[in-house]
Amino acid sequence: MPDAFLDGWAALPVWLADLLLFLALLAPAFLLGALVLRGFAIGPLLSALLRRQVWVSVVFVALIAISVGLGAGLIAQERGLRQGTAPAADKFELVVAAPGSEITAMLAAVYLQPSDLPLLDGETYDRIASHERVEIVAPLGFGDSWRDAPVVGTTAEFVAYLSEGLAEGRHFAAEYEAVAGARVPLGVGDAFSPAHGIGDAAEHGAHGDLEYEVVGRMPLTGSPWDRALMVPIESVWSVHGLANGHGPGWDGEIGPPFAPAYFPGTPAALVRADSLAANYGLQAEFSTETTMAFFPGTVLARLHALMGDIRQAMSVLAVITQVLVTAGVLAGLMMLTRLLAKRLALLRALGAPRRFIFALTWSFAVTLISTGAALGLLLGVAATRAISSIITARTDVLVSARLAWPELHLVAGFVSLTAVLALLPAFLTMNRPVIRDLRG
Amino acid sequence: MTTPRGRSLTLRDLEVTGEGGRRILYVPRLQIAAGSAVAVRGPSGAGKTTLLYALAGLVSPAAGRILWDDEDIAPLGEPARAAFRRRTVGFVFQEHLLFEELSAPGNAALAALYTAATERAAIRARAAEQLSRLGLDRSAARRSDSYSGGERQRIAVARALAADPDVILADEPTASLDRANADRLADDLVALARHEGRTLITVSHDPAVHARADRVLDIADGRLAADTAQGAPGAAHA
Amino acid sequence: MTMQTTRRRALALAAGFIAAPALLRAQGDEAIKLRELYAGDNEFSEFARDSEGERITVEGFMAPPLQADSTFFVLTKMPMSVCPFCETEAEWPEDILAIYTRRKYRVVPFNRKIVVRGELELGGYRDPETGFVSLVRLANAQFDYA
Repeated sequence: MPDAFLDGWAALPVWLADLLLFLALLAPAFLLGALVLRGFAIGPLLSALLRRQVWVSVVFVALIAISVGLGAGLIAQERGLRQGTAPAADKFELVVAAPGSEITAMLAAVYLQPSDLPLLDGETYDRIASHERVEIVAPLGFGDSWRDAPVVGTTAEFVAYLSEGLAEGRHFAAEYEAVAGARVPLGVGDAFSPAHGIGDAAEHGAHGDLEYEVVGRMPLTGSPWDRALMVPIESVWSVHGLANGHGPGWDGEIGPPFAPAYFPGTPAALVRADSLAANYGLQAEFSTETTMAFFPGTVLARLHALMGDIRQAMSVLAVITQVLVTAGVLAGLMMLTRLLAKRLALLRALGAPRRFIFALTWSFAVTLISTGAALGLLLGVAATRAISSIITARTDVLVSARLAWPELHLVAGFVSLTAVLALLPAFLTMNRPVIRDLRG
Repeated sequence: MTTPRGRSLTLRDLEVTGEGGRRILYVPRLQIAAGSAVAVRGPSGAGKTTLLYALAGLVSPAAGRILWDDEDIAPLGEPARAAFRRRTVGFVFQEHLLFEELSAPGNAALAALYTAATERAAIRARAAEQLSRLGLDRSAARRSDSYSGGERQRIAVARALAADPDVILADEPTASLDRANADRLADDLVALARHEGRTLITVSHDPAVHARADRVLDIADGRLAADTAQGAPGAAHA
Repeated sequence: MTMQTTRRRALALAAGFIAAPALLRAQGDEAIKLRELYAGDNEFSEFARDSEGERITVEGFMAPPLQADSTFFVLTKMPMSVCPFCETEAEWPEDILAIYTRRKYRVVPFNRKIVVRGELELGGYRDPETGFVSLVRLANAQFDYA
């Protein structure tokens, strides 16, 4: 039976399963509502009471909205980060680096975070480059910058692979030509002079009056490479006084093949294998004492899992906050019903059934709860948007925030749970003494 | 003048106790004819309001019977007493006690919110009819707290009549009004009750109310101290 | 079926709306091993041919994925710190299975055994996004620790 149920559930399209789950989570609140409100037309009185206690209601709604927004925002933010960082790493299937931290190497190679990595030598690079299963391999050269944009030395072939076609211009074909990322404020034909180092430590003028000319621009990739200036690796080596990767008698044509003896080293080799199987093969082959081969996707997935764990812990706190806030609001509501006691007693005296008072108080609570929950969703998404745009501005990883099912499920569950909790103040209010309240 | 549709009231050994079993009210025997207008007076704390609440089924008596026609409401549980109030009683309080945020028709037809859907239209129609009879604005857009004190109490009267009750119970309905408005309300209350032959019992210290009643009951120390019939025009059917 | 299993299943069913993958644990008893899909020489077993298009449960290990936040991974016979494709020259070794998950999945350590339940698909298929060609797959799959 569970098998049949599960398989039937799995046979549904994901969106339908999500929708049904959402409805199932919301169903208790609606069933309860139908049951509690059966036979009554509480609308006018409910809105009268809400208007009577408008400021208290606004405060209660705001409290619920903030706590729900926190919970929803956490989920949306985590997903946004996952969905933003993953595509940025998609093109980097396999990275070979000198042994060390996979995370550091990934942050440097994929997300262009400045770091001090040991180098792979020319022999090793040549072994990778000449491997029959390797389709593309590219060295990376870091260290220079122009304003905030890192200048990254690599090959034209890799830029072509990364960009899947330039937005404008052509690939670099000579040593002092460059391709600009989509967010670099330089157009085709502009020239720039690189500084040694990055950020505040950059030494301007260290490279003399060297200038690169921008000959092409990449389309937006949603990754930190959007802020980078890509130049031929040969020029990066040259300006630092190193060999340029080619032996004597080089004809000046940039790019591979490189001569192992004149290869100054690269912190990482970006590898694309000819098949998925080959990626695993190469990873095994280059996991040696002198080389470290890893899938950035796996490293990132592990970081995602870690982030997911932290987010779940925070979500538990957020849920506790939500429940505490709601309990506070319901307790506040009890006091509020005391302010309304005379009017409620009047209704009883006029012949309204106790259940009507029950329905009225419950609807009051559920109106505050559901309004707060709906606003909380919006608030969560708005906050996530704001945070995401800051992250995007700082890291160039395109992080977006959209409302998705998990938040809706959370909020639906919250509404149903608290709709049940709201039965308690409704029950207590229903049993208040009529005569005393009427005289009071 | 229509035939009386109101209910007669018979009390037998009615005893209402307060906290600690202290006796607040004891009425061994009282008979009020259907369709009559009765005023109840007495000093503060004598038990007048308690009597009214007992007649409405708001207070559960310790002993005795409260017979409206043949229906004894004394032993009824709260849901049945609420149903009795809803069906049979129209109540007017000392203060108008309106929902200020609602309009005059909204307040007058309050009962429509908690009665069966089939009766709602009838209640709304009667509420509107009573409001115009009482000379009140029937605008649904105007909040009831924009009306004067006298008007608000008349809205409360329309509310008491909207569910077409057999009995109208009023607790000091003119107490918060000035003389002119008090007289007008006393006139309205009696006229509307008589118009359809409802039984009207009003607790009041206002001579204007006493003057319009068929019969005046004096309550003192929780007992019926005097019972005076008055030859008011168009009075007593019994 | 023992009392305890019955209860476990009932609980699992109750939880089903919220955490469907957790239920796979209860289905672990029926999980088959990867080799049961093959009859040697890249031929599918009778069981595989009979089960084509049905949901089956397979146990194995998740190979480290090449992409984060995706719906694809390779299920291997052995916990894989080394590659499943290396021991043999064959293009399609008989100890792997391509898994396409129902939703984006959370990566699990390569040495934790998992059970995967999904629709068995046989025959060559080229992933339009990665270009990866698989001979046998579980589609619309969910998994949990065994």
